[in-house]
Amino acid sequence: MTTIFEGPPALQAAGRLDYPERRRLRSLARRVGGAPGVVGLLLLLVLVLLALGAPVVATHSPVAVNPLAVLQSPHGGALLGTDELGRDVFSRVIYGLRTSLAVAFGSVALAVLVGLPVGLLAGYIGGVVDMVLMRSVDLLLAFPALLLAIVIVAILGAGEAVTILAVGIIFVPIIARVVRSAVLVVRGHSYVKGARARGASHLRIMATHVVPNILPPAVVQASVLTGFAMLIEASLAFLGLGVQPPTPDLGSMLAEGGGYATQAPWIELAAGVFLALAILAFNLTGRGLQRGLGVRDEVIQ
Amino acid sequence: MTRPAVEAPPIVELSHASVAFANEGATTSAVHDVSFSVREGEIFGIVGESGCGKSTLAQMLMGLLPGTAKVSGSLRYKGEELLGQSAEEWRRLRGNRMSLISQDPRAALDAVTPIGHQVAETIRAHRKVSRREARALAIAALADTGIGRAEERYGDPPHRFSGGMCQRVVIAAALANQPDLLIADEPTTALDVTIQAQILALLRGLRERSNMTVILITHDMGVIAQMCDRVGVMYAGELVEVANVQEIFTRPGHPYTEALFGAIPSARRHGQPLQTIPGQVPDLSKPLAGCRFKDRCRYRIEQCDQPPALAEISPSQAAACWKRGSFRSGGDRRD
Repeated sequence: MTTIFEGPPALQAAGRLDYPERRRLRSLARRVGGAPGVVGLLLLLVLVLLALGAPVVATHSPVAVNPLAVLQSPHGGALLGTDELGRDVFSRVIYGLRTSLAVAFGSVALAVLVGLPVGLLAGYIGGVVDMVLMRSVDLLLAFPALLLAIVIVAILGAGEAVTILAVGIIFVPIIARVVRSAVLVVRGHSYVKGARARGASHLRIMATHVVPNILPPAVVQASVLTGFAMLIEASLAFLGLGVQPPTPDLGSMLAEGGGYATQAPWIELAAGVFLALAILAFNLTGRGLQRGLGVRDEVIQ
Repeated sequence: MTRPAVEAPPIVELSHASVAFANEGATTSAVHDVSFSVREGEIFGIVGESGCGKSTLAQMLMGLLPGTAKVSGSLRYKGEELLGQSAEEWRRLRGNRMSLISQDPRAALDAVTPIGHQVAETIRAHRKVSRREARALAIAALADTGIGRAEERYGDPPHRFSGGMCQRVVIAAALANQPDLLIADEPTTALDVTIQAQILALLRGLRERSNMTVILITHDMGVIAQMCDRVGVMYAGELVEVANVQEIFTRPGHPYTEALFGAIPSARRHGQPLQTIPGQVPDLSKPLAGCRFKDRCRYRIEQCDQPPALAEISPSQAAACWKRGSFRSGGDRRD
């Protein structure tokens, strides 16, 4: 086949054309803070796809018990072996990841939903409103995170929804504080005064000027917190206070596998590795975004 | 420059206006007993050095002072008292009947919001128009201030614009609702000299078309000379002189004004040392008795321990000085 047009020789020699797609990718990579952020984001993407595609990815039902195949080591029929009830560990890990991610995302969404308006109003209005809102939110910070979660579970009973609520409540003060401090900075900028000079109402200024400008620290904090949420969720499940069996969950798998750590270490290992990978992914993404979006260290808790 | 008829009604009347900030026990008197009025269609300049209360005055005129500021006196706009009106009444005036252009155009624009939205925001804050209408009006306003290809640039963020272009955007937003009064607080200070001239020409041109009143705050005497009909001189929070622009340049009525002009470098005094004003601006957080300029004034007399009121020298010139009018022939200015 003869090539009609081969492009300018100089460009061919360079061997690398600067396509707009490539440039866009590069600017995206910069946005997430370079290599670590890209790795974190890709890892996160893989984990989320695995979790979303659990029904397709899983080779077995995560809850199907098989008394004839108990505590089998990994082999062709069970990629990561089986547990004490003969359930497929690979399938349980994938479904467990799905549960853990859903709870983590849910709780952070809840925390943002409550914490962002609280921090926004406290920071923007200031004065008495600031004091009342922040002091009441600080009250939550006074309790150790896990203890607070246990109290909430003790009152409301264990389950996925309660775990989301408990972890969400723990995170509200953190989100509120980060948002508030960002709002205090933005509020002092002259474009806010400029918007006021144009006759914009406070509501409009908050919606169109303050919120978009505080998003970077809020996004970074939310991303870091999601990894932390997975840890708390797993801790609660490990203690039997989180997601209840038979729903597969990484934390409860760690607890159940613990009893067979010497005979069947693959149960704990599988759950532990996936949990660690997920937390790593959130942390890398969070830190990467922090760098890429130029959020200073001391802002993030 | 079209000079407004002397009988044009006043649009802004400020009388005995003071602004004080309480800060850890000390009260700083940022603006003290300032009275002046600006007639419709005129360009009124306010000059003074940094910290003399110019910007505080601008914010007071716009009702933008923080809640911690203690404001007293009277501010009338078209005969209506503004001090004491509700926040919502202020909001309806701002950007609609009166607008403010601030010093640093880059800082005045939100970096994450497209410039067009910030102009449209002014329109939608005051007029019941659809998004699409607001967009069209905003594009027209941008084009009016000399933003080329305004339609294409509507969605661009501020960082794609130079400082001068940003100031055009800020002006477009300020004038989008055809206000009667524009307060320009050092509109060209942050810009380089060629852009300064362009922005001033733009403001002059826009004013010619609309007969809008402008209060121009600056510390640049050149800007005053080019733009203004009348000038007020501020020193340490007080208005020390008000006069027509020619009078202030030829026969300053207050020792501070005279000293200020003396400090302008001039080619005619080539080789001579630049004149300065001895001493320092008084600390505004301490109680001040009498004339605030007395410690730096070379015409000081005993009477200066009593505060002089702003009083007429001629129908068009007034100064707050006990010796007003009596010293200026004795000045050593030759240019």
